[in-house]
Amino acid sequence: MQVPVACEREKKVYGWFFIALLGCFLAATVFTRFNPLVVLTEIGGVWDFVADDFFPPVLVCSDGILKSVVVTVALAVSSASAAALLAFTAAVFGSEYVAPFPAVAKCIRATATFLRNIPTLVWAFILFSSLGVGTGVGFVALVITSFAFMTRAFIEVIDEMSQDSIECLSAVGATFWQRIFHSVLPNCVGGFIAWFLYCLEVNIRSSTVVGMVGGGGIGMILFSYLKSFKYPQAAGIILLIAAVVILVDLLTNYLRRKVAG
Amino acid sequence: MERVPVSTAALEMKCLPVSDKNGKIAIGLRDGSHAVRNFFIGTAAAALLSLYILDIDWLRILSRSGEIGTVFAKMAFFDFKSIEFTLLSFMETFSIMVLSTLYSIFFGMLFGLLGAENVVKNRTAALSVKAFSALLRAVPTPVWVLLTLVCFGFGAEAGIIGLSVHTAAFFTRAFAQAFEDVPADVIEAMEALGANRLQVIFCAILPMAMTQLIAWLALRFEINFAECTILGMVGAGGIGFAISTSIQNYAYGEAGIAIMIVFLFAFCMEQGFIYLKKKIK
Repeated sequence: MQVPVACEREKKVYGWFFIALLGCFLAATVFTRFNPLVVLTEIGGVWDFVADDFFPPVLVCSDGILKSVVVTVALAVSSASAAALLAFTAAVFGSEYVAPFPAVAKCIRATATFLRNIPTLVWAFILFSSLGVGTGVGFVALVITSFAFMTRAFIEVIDEMSQDSIECLSAVGATFWQRIFHSVLPNCVGGFIAWFLYCLEVNIRSSTVVGMVGGGGIGMILFSYLKSFKYPQAAGIILLIAAVVILVDLLTNYLRRKVAG
Repeated sequence: MERVPVSTAALEMKCLPVSDKNGKIAIGLRDGSHAVRNFFIGTAAAALLSLYILDIDWLRILSRSGEIGTVFAKMAFFDFKSIEFTLLSFMETFSIMVLSTLYSIFFGMLFGLLGAENVVKNRTAALSVKAFSALLRAVPTPVWVLLTLVCFGFGAEAGIIGLSVHTAAFFTRAFAQAFEDVPADVIEAMEALGANRLQVIFCAILPMAMTQLIAWLALRFEINFAECTILGMVGAGGIGFAISTSIQNYAYGEAGIAIMIVFLFAFCMEQGFIYLKKKIK
């Protein structure tokens, strides 16, 4: 005799989910005629490419490259911080439980959903076509998506906290800002910081990509090397980007343990 | 009667309420509050320094900000001239997203098991799998796609393989974490009953980690859709290519439709996964 482990309803949901996934998989395979074995047949070419063109990686240590790394990191840090400030303000007005005006809260959440669901690079393209290329425009594009992402995350953090303390404070007549700074902020600061650090990690990668299409920084240099077939130099830049990303990840992990844990 | 402002935050933090000279209750700092304060000061300093380094020409951006409105107004007038091309490229993006995510699940599951310390009892082996996946993850997806474009030529294959590299590495870390979160007693109980390694994996570890796996899968579907859009813009096919070319050709109406499709699909997917998560909970 078998003991049913998962509850029936849950099993049903999983079942439909897997059927839907399978359907998507078959449709996509038919549409693109993708044969996974192509990886095996082409592996020799890939190996030749990596071994001949990429090795040994050449890293030209010039001031220009160092400066562009700094620009990429600065772009990520400043956009994440500016977006966090804006997102905090938007989140306290957008959370259902603490917002003073429910209508405004709905508007804020709708705006955040709209901004978030359009990828960063699409924003970058729209802004480049209206404002011209440049680091500043890359900054604005990164702020838009980070702001929308953090607004959603912050609202979720606020909604998940215990509502008792807010209720207590309103019962004794605390004003809106008193409620925010004496209950919401102390309770949620850990969650806010955790999401901010995650956003910083994402932004380091995004700022490289935004750089490729005209935002400046290390992404621009990599793109120009790849386009002019300077593969050893490109390999050096890719390793440099990986090193920067890993360093930032280590730093955010350390800060997460120290501050948000 | 003396008014004593009581902060419920103080009560929740289990601080001893000691009144100071003014008769107010000292709220006291929670452990780590200094760390939080220092963190805020540090971040603010780093942000200001970054803004100084970037040296952005704010006046130029402000003076041209009216243009954004113009561009959006132009995009709102949908131009259905090349709708067929847009829909076809959207189908391509969708397919790349589905295939890259699903193939990566397979590899992520495999390497996730190899990277979980409670599955592979060898700590060095598990750590080296995780370190390798960290290296693969550190290179942004569009870079992988650019590299596979060189190897496999222009087409869906390059997109699928390039995205899969990054996604599989992402799943490896996420799944290894999910497997390690499975309580040790469950595995111990199975082993005490005489279950072999495969039975432990399929009867204890996978079912217990399933909810987390689906949550990660949902998250990655959303990320990969955005990445698919992006990779079209750096030179591969798909809807991103349609958006970037139509913007560059000043065909804002066509770009407007493509962006609307991207938005609607991402929005529906997000709502669908929220619904699914509620059902599973």
